[in-house]
Amino acid sequence: MRQRKRMLEQLDADIREHIERETQDNIERGMSPEDARHAAHRKFGNVTHVIEETRAVWSAVWLEQLLADIRFGLRMLRKNLGFTAVAVLTLALGIGANAAVFSVVYAVLLRPLPYQAPSSLIVLNETTPMVGTVSVSYPNFLDWRNQSRTFSEMSAIRGVGFNLAGVTQPENISGDAVSPNFLSMMGVRPFLGRDFYASEEKAGTPPVILLSYSLWQSHFGGDPNIVGRTIKLDDRSFTIVGVLPSNYRSLDKTDVMLPIGVWITDNSEDVKERGSRGDLGVIGRLATGVSLTKARAEMEGIAARLATEYPASNDRFGVALQPIRDAFVSDIRPAILVLFGAVMFVLLIACANVANLFLVRGASRSKEVALRIALGASRGRIISQMLTESFVLAVLGGVLGLALAVAGIGGMSRLIPADMLSGATVNLNGAVLLFAACAVALASFIFGLAPALHSTKPDVQSELKEGGRGASVGAGQNRLRAALAIAEISLALILLVGAGLMMKSLYRLLAVDPGFRPDRVLRLEMDLRTQQYSKDPAVLNFWQQVLDKVRVLPGVEAAAVGTHVPLTDSHGRTDITMEGMAVPAPGNYPHPDVHTISPGFVETLGVSLLRGRTFTDTDDEKAQLVGMINAMTAKRFFPNEDPIGKRFLFGHPSAKNAPKWRTIVGVVSDTKLYGLANPARLEVYVPLRQDAASDMTLLVKSGADPAALTSAIREAVQSIDKDQPLFAISTMKELVSNSVATRRMTLVLLGLFSGLALVLGAIGIYGVISYSVAQRTHEIGIRMALGAPRGDVFRLVVGQGLKLAGIGIAIGILAAFGLARLMSSLLYGVSVTDFETFAGVAILLVLVALLACYVPARRAMRVDPIVALRYE
Amino acid sequence: MSTKEQRERIELLQGTLDLLILRTLLLGPRHGHAIAKAIEFNSEDVLQVEQGSLYPALHRLIKRAWISVEEGTSENNRRAKFYRLTPNGRRQLALETRKWDKLAGAIARILRPAEQEGEP
Repeated sequence: MRQRKRMLEQLDADIREHIERETQDNIERGMSPEDARHAAHRKFGNVTHVIEETRAVWSAVWLEQLLADIRFGLRMLRKNLGFTAVAVLTLALGIGANAAVFSVVYAVLLRPLPYQAPSSLIVLNETTPMVGTVSVSYPNFLDWRNQSRTFSEMSAIRGVGFNLAGVTQPENISGDAVSPNFLSMMGVRPFLGRDFYASEEKAGTPPVILLSYSLWQSHFGGDPNIVGRTIKLDDRSFTIVGVLPSNYRSLDKTDVMLPIGVWITDNSEDVKERGSRGDLGVIGRLATGVSLTKARAEMEGIAARLATEYPASNDRFGVALQPIRDAFVSDIRPAILVLFGAVMFVLLIACANVANLFLVRGASRSKEVALRIALGASRGRIISQMLTESFVLAVLGGVLGLALAVAGIGGMSRLIPADMLSGATVNLNGAVLLFAACAVALASFIFGLAPALHSTKPDVQSELKEGGRGASVGAGQNRLRAALAIAEISLALILLVGAGLMMKSLYRLLAVDPGFRPDRVLRLEMDLRTQQYSKDPAVLNFWQQVLDKVRVLPGVEAAAVGTHVPLTDSHGRTDITMEGMAVPAPGNYPHPDVHTISPGFVETLGVSLLRGRTFTDTDDEKAQLVGMINAMTAKRFFPNEDPIGKRFLFGHPSAKNAPKWRTIVGVVSDTKLYGLANPARLEVYVPLRQDAASDMTLLVKSGADPAALTSAIREAVQSIDKDQPLFAISTMKELVSNSVATRRMTLVLLGLFSGLALVLGAIGIYGVISYSVAQRTHEIGIRMALGAPRGDVFRLVVGQGLKLAGIGIAIGILAAFGLARLMSSLLYGVSVTDFETFAGVAILLVLVALLACYVPARRAMRVDPIVALRYE
Repeated sequence: MSTKEQRERIELLQGTLDLLILRTLLLGPRHGHAIAKAIEFNSEDVLQVEQGSLYPALHRLIKRAWISVEEGTSENNRRAKFYRLTPNGRRQLALETRKWDKLAGAIARILRPAEQEGEP
């Protein structure tokens, strides 16, 4: 480059010098100085033109060559339309699938979160060996914040819900109460209005609120003068102080945001109670230069000190730290990565197929190549020209692939459960385009290089000397083509094993007994939040009226209310004490899930009663305190006796208050609260009238389609309280189905990709075998002339195909043994080396290979020895 | 835009000129004007090179590292660029010369087939 600059800078002077010398020579020959100069110029030619030409030497050569190559490539592709169509389509499928899956990878795993320096934002939770990760108690958060030096800032986020009496229908909205520093710590500035004041952390702060961008649009028509107006939530007025930006993203749906002081005002008891851990999370920003490891060490030390200091609430409680990105994607990451790997395999198979096509065509072009090499074209020149041709092909495939990807992205975003995306938008964007461009470039190298290197190999040049038929190809090329077919089979096998394992997992998972009968059950949530429900009798009265009205609706078989229905995220857990059990350390108390239920709940949800009785209307506030336990609790505490009549109490025994013992009246089956794949837990049920709850789920069992009852139920509820919203409406069937949505998506896509791989692999084998039959027509003819039965010929050809398939299957099985491990977290009830799956897939591939060989084998059988021999 | 045929003809010409330059420099480093003169003189003025076309060719050869360039002073103490054959260029010259001989021979045989086949 430097040489170029120096040479061109002095070019003018060099030319002047040259002309000067010529002029001098001419003068010496006796010309007049003027004539001498003219003659010298004439002899030199057009100076400007010379300078231009010389410049071109340094600049445009490669570009011109490239353009010429591209034109040549396009011409070659136009000449072989069949070849081009097959190759472009194959590549389009591979690149399109890759672009579609990458759009999800990018949206979920790579796109920067809309926060300032998101990599130093850490989500903190408490942990307990009893259940794992849990929410943080407010007093613990305050101590963490005060004592930590590794975090420059920390902020509490408490999930909150409100009832919004809307214009048409009342609705339930959700949001976060946050420490006032939250938005500035995240690097988020309100789109309109102001951030919270530091003073708004204290109890008694006036109720102010920030609206989400979408709520501002939908409920206030994007009013630019929104700041200062009020919004009525439950039955309180909140002053709107601003609007969040439209790209604000949080872990849960955020309709509104308020300073935590407002929440503290309403929950002064909760805030003081160190043992109360309810839906409060903490996000912190690491101080400059502090690693996650260091922060974790410090926080674990703080948690340990708190556990010693407050054993009653903190015994055995630790702390968990995770980067904020992980909090967004931890559930779906393994599935996405497995799919991304799978789709890469599909692209590799597509490349192998196209490489095979190129080799076949390369054979017919080998004379052309040999001739050009003999005429002095360098091998590098020809390789680069052939690569350009591959590249042109790959670009065509990429363009078509992007069109396929647009369709694929639409399909995939419907398949992926929305809550798994946590607000990520999957679309075709610059990053996806860049990825597709890289895929195109890489693919053209993968499928172009081997054939290009191969057909310019010196031994192929003997082609010219042979002067024979273009069809004769060396053994080297056949080996390469066989290797490609084997690679395709191996890759297809790996994908099929993945899909097979996924299918078996899903089958096993859906066969799991959830502990309840989801058929024909509708679930609707209600949260009684207004002042009129501040006293228990009003709450109980409301639920009773709802049940009375809903139970008489036509088509309703049964109805009940209860808290924390299975497979929703909702849960409530507390320590219990069994009468007579050895008093454990504070952190070792049994910690069951507690359901507050109306009579009929067990029957409506279809939970089996194993012993004793369920609750009745007589289990009310005046009656003896009663409860039910699940089978697991019964087995844990009463392995050899009848639990009926035994007693327990909530919390730990206390010397101060008289113990409130509850008598066990029934034992019911375990339910899969936290997903079909997760183990059952201890569960306890108490009657609604003895433990009033204002946030409950209404379950309705119908005789027919439960969803059809929705509007009748809504009317019934609003005839009692017109401002009371119903939300989270779905059938229990849908909940079961959604709980396996990630696995189903993985299965559907893996199935699709492996199907594609199977077809491409079959085409690969078919191509190799039918080409080899064409090549061996002469040999087959001789064999038949010498008396070989047609059956032998058939077996010869099929045997050749099966050999390829066999090697491919063997390699694939070995690789799949290693790779299946990577998807172990997606599997359920099936080992990563499941024999049935591996054997089934191997058999499937053998059958497909047989099918792929059948047509060429039939063709070989029909070879006429006379014609074949005359052919040469 | 020139047509393809024209461009090919030019390329052939360029290749020939390159060969002549390399051959001239085999005798020792020369400056641009001297190269032109040598080609004219040695071909007994049959090859009348338009002297300007020497420069794109020289630059092309430099780019391919077949010749190198150094500053120097000429016989009458004037500043000049001297072009020198590199080992790469020497190899290339040998290669091109062989090719040229083959080509010339082949063309000669095609143009005068009688001389070969006419002898009994």
